[in-house]
Order: sequence, then C-alpha cells, then structure tokens
Amino acid sequence: MRRVLIASMTLVGVALLAHVNAQEERVRHIAPANPVVADKDVNSQPIPRLADGTIDITGPWFGGGSNGDIERDGGLKPGELPLLPWARELREKRLPKDEPYTACLPMGVPRVNPYPWKFAMSYTSKGLTHIYQLHETGDAGAHRVIYMDGRAHPPDPIPTWWGHSTGKFEKDTLVIDTVGYNDKFWFDSKGTPHSEKLHTTERWTRINFGRMTHEFTIDDPGAFSRTVTLNFTASLIRPGIKDGGDLLEFICLEDNQYGAAAGISGVGSGR
Amino acid sequence: MNTGFGSLIAVLGIVASTIPVFAHHGFDTEYDAKKKVKLTGVVTQVAWTNPHMRVYIDVAGPDGKVINWNLELTSPNRIRRQGWGPNDLLPGEKVVFEGYGGKIVESRGSLLSITKVGEDKPLFEEGGPDTAGQQTPF
Repeated sequence: MRRVLIASMTLVGVALLAHVNAQEERVRHIAPANPVVADKDVNSQPIPRLADGTIDITGPWFGGGSNGDIERDGGLKPGELPLLPWARELREKRLPKDEPYTACLPMGVPRVNPYPWKFAMSYTSKGLTHIYQLHETGDAGAHRVIYMDGRAHPPDPIPTWWGHSTGKFEKDTLVIDTVGYNDKFWFDSKGTPHSEKLHTTERWTRINFGRMTHEFTIDDPGAFSRTVTLNFTASLIRPGIKDGGDLLEFICLEDNQYGAAAGISGVGSGR
Repeated sequence: MNTGFGSLIAVLGIVASTIPVFAHHGFDTEYDAKKKVKLTGVVTQVAWTNPHMRVYIDVAGPDGKVINWNLELTSPNRIRRQGWGPNDLLPGEKVVFEGYGGKIVESRGSLLSITKVGEDKPLFEEGGPDTAGQQTPF
C-alpha cells in the first residue's frame, strides 16, 4: 500500500512538474519582457568564432540603427545633422502617409524595425564570399547583399534601394562600403532625405557576446554639407527564446490596408 | 478552455501595457484618439495577414443594423511571439472589445483590447495613442 502511495505521489509530482514546466515555457514564450541579452550578461560567454577564426556576427540582432529619428538615435543633438537647406526643408514637408515603407517598400540603410535581423554569412568553397543582411520586416521581404569576394563597385551602378555593397574584415570589424543608392528611401520616419550621391561606410564590431557597435558614416554631398558619423548599438537576441531568434515570414503586400481608415489613398509616394 | 490558455490570457493582460501599437507605421495618421469605443460583437474572421493582423467583428447597433468592424493589430509575427495561436480566437465567438475608430471610416479601428464574453481577462491588449512610437522589441 505504501509503495502504491509513493508511486502515486511520484506520478502526481512528475505530472505537476511537467504542467508547471509547460506553463513556464508558454509564459516565457508569451512575455519575453527583455528578449535581448541583458547588460549584466554581455560578457557571460566568449565572442563566438567560426571554424576559420572569423568572428561570428550572425546574430540574431535587435537594433543597430534607427527607425524614428536618425539624428537623435545616432547620438547627435537636435539640429546637428548637417543637412543642406533643401534637404532640411524637404524633411519638414514630408508627411507620414508618404513614407515608402508604409507601401511595403524597404526601409534602407541603416533603418531597423523592432524585429530581429541577421548577417547571414555565406560560405562556399571559396570561403566567405557574401554576407546577406536579412531583416524580418525592415527589408519588406527583400534581402541586402554584401560582396565579400574582393570585387570593386561597378563604375555605373544602377541606383537601387540597398545600393552596391562591398565588405571586408579589418581585424574583427566588418566594414561595409556602399554606393549606388537610389534617393527613394527615407533615413527615418521623420523623412530625413538623401541623394543618389550617397556613399555610406558601416563599421560593425562585436564588442562582446551580447553587443555589436555600428559606426555609420554618411558621405552625401548632394544632401549634406559634410560627412557625419552616427553611432548605434545592436543587441543580441537572448538565446533560447522560442521563435525569438528566427526570422519569421513577412510578406508585406499580402493585405496592406494602410490609409483606408483615414480615407487616404496613394500612400508611400516618397515625396 | 483549458487552464493553460487561462494562464495565457492572464499573462497577456499583465504584459500588454508594454506592447506598442504598430511597428509598421504610427497611430495618428489613421486613427482618432478621441474615438475610443467599447463594443460587444461576434467575431467573423481572424486574419493572420501581413503587414498587420486584423480581427473582423459584427456589431449590432440599437436599431438592429449590423456593422462589421475591421480592427487592426500589429504584425502576425509579433502576435505569435506573444503566444497567440490560430485556435485562440475563432469566428462565431462573442467578444467585448475596445479600440479607436478610424479618422474617416470609424468602423476601421485600431484594436486596444479584446475579451471573450464570460472571461474577465482580456485575450489581447494592444497599445493606443499613448504607446505609439515605442520600440519594444518584437
């Protein structure tokens, strides 16, 4: 009888534990209050490296750019972004409804949405030949290519949303040089503009397990009076969060009803 | 409803105040913060669509006329990461919801919270004008 009782209690205990674990798992799933590696844990593990010794910057990351205000989030004071008068005037005139992103077009460099993104490091028999930057939503379903095979920019690139990007590692810093941008995307939701003369340099450095700094330099004589450097930091998505580190499907044009509630048509004109 | 789901909605109620409205665009362009509504209706469709999920709800007015409300949430991915699944709210279920009406088309609203009739905790709460622009991850 006693054995039966002990066995029964054990079974109940196991069942309860399983139930609690299932609940906790679901709770963690529901409420990743802080889905990135906490400040106190940024050095909790060594910086991972690939088999060839290359620093692993795959991520998944959160942040590392701006969505709302490139000037503010990049560490500048209000008014410090050296926009030419025409560009400043255009920024003031732009309306939220005209933002290209609302029409499911890409955000552009260096904008980020509050969703995970990755540097997908692509190896072939020739080594690391490409890095693809993949945003869950910021690229509106597209992908950005960074050529790591030593090629040069073409002399006459067709202006595109992501431009033509070449990359190289300087020690542990990934340096991305990009030209050939179109002038259609907005740097932020404030409507900060640029021109097709835009040339950007991104310096991505994984400074520890949990953080990666991004030094972003804008060189655009068409819209800025001088070069300017902004600073951002990306945070690693905390390992183990269910669905947290995976880039889920996002087909923006599936059913974009933006504007209808306000009787707005022709959204995302980019004006 | 099983107890697991009961816990799910309880937790959603607690955490929901930190959820931003839209990551894809802001609140003010489309919705009117002065048009807050609290209505009861019957779910006709739960659309797990991009860029933003929508719940359609039939609401009968005092005159018996039924209006199908089209309520916008955030992205399906964000909702999924908060624990919502395709079986958690189904067509035919009666709900109480709060939201903000559209600037021009009032029945195109922004969903603030939704609770199944008979339950005391909301199934889902969104933000609203007060939380617009927050950059809460996911």
